[in-house]
Amino acid sequence: MENSAGTRQTLPEMPDTHVVSGAVYTDKAIFEDEKRRVFGQCWHLACHESELGEAYDYRTFDYIGTPLIAIRGGDGVVRTFMNVCSHRGAKIIQEPSGNAKRLTCFYHLWSYDDRGNCVDIPRPEAYESSGLKKDDCGLFEVRTETHLGLVFINLDDKAPPVADYIGAALDPFADSLGSGELEVFHYNRAILHANWKAWQETNLDLYHEWMHVLLRRTQVGEGSMNTRVVKSFENGHTMGGGLKASYDKYKGMAARDPGMALPGLGPDDFFFVDLWPNAALLARGTAIRIDVVTPIDEKTMLVEWRGLGLKGDSADVRRTRMQHHNQYWGPFGRNVPEDAFAAEACELGFRHGAATRQLIAREEGGKGQDDGMLRAWYAEWARRMGRSPANPTNAIAPD
Amino acid sequence: MALDAEDFTAFIDLCSTEFDYRITVYSPEIRKEMIWLDQDYEGMRALLEMVPQHLKRLGTLKRHVSVYIIDHDATAAIATVTSSFIVTHTDPDGVSQLFVAGTYYDEVDCRGDRYLLKRRRAHLETRDLGIGSHIPI
Repeated sequence: MENSAGTRQTLPEMPDTHVVSGAVYTDKAIFEDEKRRVFGQCWHLACHESELGEAYDYRTFDYIGTPLIAIRGGDGVVRTFMNVCSHRGAKIIQEPSGNAKRLTCFYHLWSYDDRGNCVDIPRPEAYESSGLKKDDCGLFEVRTETHLGLVFINLDDKAPPVADYIGAALDPFADSLGSGELEVFHYNRAILHANWKAWQETNLDLYHEWMHVLLRRTQVGEGSMNTRVVKSFENGHTMGGGLKASYDKYKGMAARDPGMALPGLGPDDFFFVDLWPNAALLARGTAIRIDVVTPIDEKTMLVEWRGLGLKGDSADVRRTRMQHHNQYWGPFGRNVPEDAFAAEACELGFRHGAATRQLIAREEGGKGQDDGMLRAWYAEWARRMGRSPANPTNAIAPD
Repeated sequence: MALDAEDFTAFIDLCSTEFDYRITVYSPEIRKEMIWLDQDYEGMRALLEMVPQHLKRLGTLKRHVSVYIIDHDATAAIATVTSSFIVTHTDPDGVSQLFVAGTYYDEVDCRGDRYLLKRRRAHLETRDLGIGSHIPI
């Protein structure tokens, strides 16, 4: 495209690692490739184990258009199945959560147990002539593993175990998530009108804290930029740490009570881990937030937000913990709505080519507001996709 | 109407100093009642004072309220009011969409020269709020 100025601005010579083409957000073929090479092969954080606290508790969810159901069996093991009946393909369980020893399809009352076995078919004798038996009709199981209380699924049976996939990336959460004392107290989800990666970028981009009045007041000036650390791990996971917050510097907010800090956390600590490709865990002393983003298509995403606190919280403490969480991260909070605004604004720039690329070129030696997390994320994207983020439509690798 | 106009000073002036405000919603996913905003009088005043400094969704919100029940306790000089509401969002291009639906459970202090809002529970039916809101419902 040419405009009255003749050409777009030219950039200094930079490595491909520092530029991301707009095509990664808009190209339909790239998105279809992501479904297969990324979401079809990587571990996906489905829920927290507290959502399946009792035997036969279940949670249903869609993953890349596939209806799934995770259920804690009578043996305590969490398993995940395709939530579709073996008979006519109907989605079996419609509710987002519940407790049931038997999963019964509303249509013809075929029933399944907690292991996915088909255990009842009304009037089965009529199938005798065709040789169909209940044993042939179990639910399709999806690989499921739990790590630090987080329930992960993977559509790829050949993927390495989730603990190997995550490696040391979640070590900063070992004392909190690993304590077994946490539960989800907050859940909300929203459809945002932007490519799914735009949400991940809000959690990978330290520099964007300038956008948030709340962070400018409570965080940017706290400590030194040199005490901040950006780390990258195998498989594209990243971490930002060493940040502090002074909550009483924002009008109407108060310093955090050290007695409310979660296990392993100081009341003013702030750090976060991005699990490649689509999850982020953020710790703020008295509450933990977990984001999971799942694409719907190349320009629409579903974001799920969870807030975690202590199972044994009194009503008063839980109310305060919710306040702490929501001040930043609730749908009426001061931060997350701004991140969502930014993600949708970038989509408007890229959708019809007004913006052709973004820059991830800040280098601060792995400290301060370095773009190292973004570069590490896109390095993994390049490895998995066989495409350069800087020039993704011309560098298609063979399957 | 004061909130619709983002005249936050006028809204606070309608509230009692004992004001207790919450936005609540039930999550069928985690099977828990949640509080999404929780402020007392001073907290609400501080929150609203800071709104103009924030990056927020462009356009306006409009609250449409249908009062269902008014129960006036003359002895206590308190009225409890249950109302249904919907809030629409109109973007800068003039396109309006439903933002949220729910029910107000209010307590109105009738002791003084003018009635003051003492307590509001805005219970939401809508759980997908898109990019969310800096402004209370």
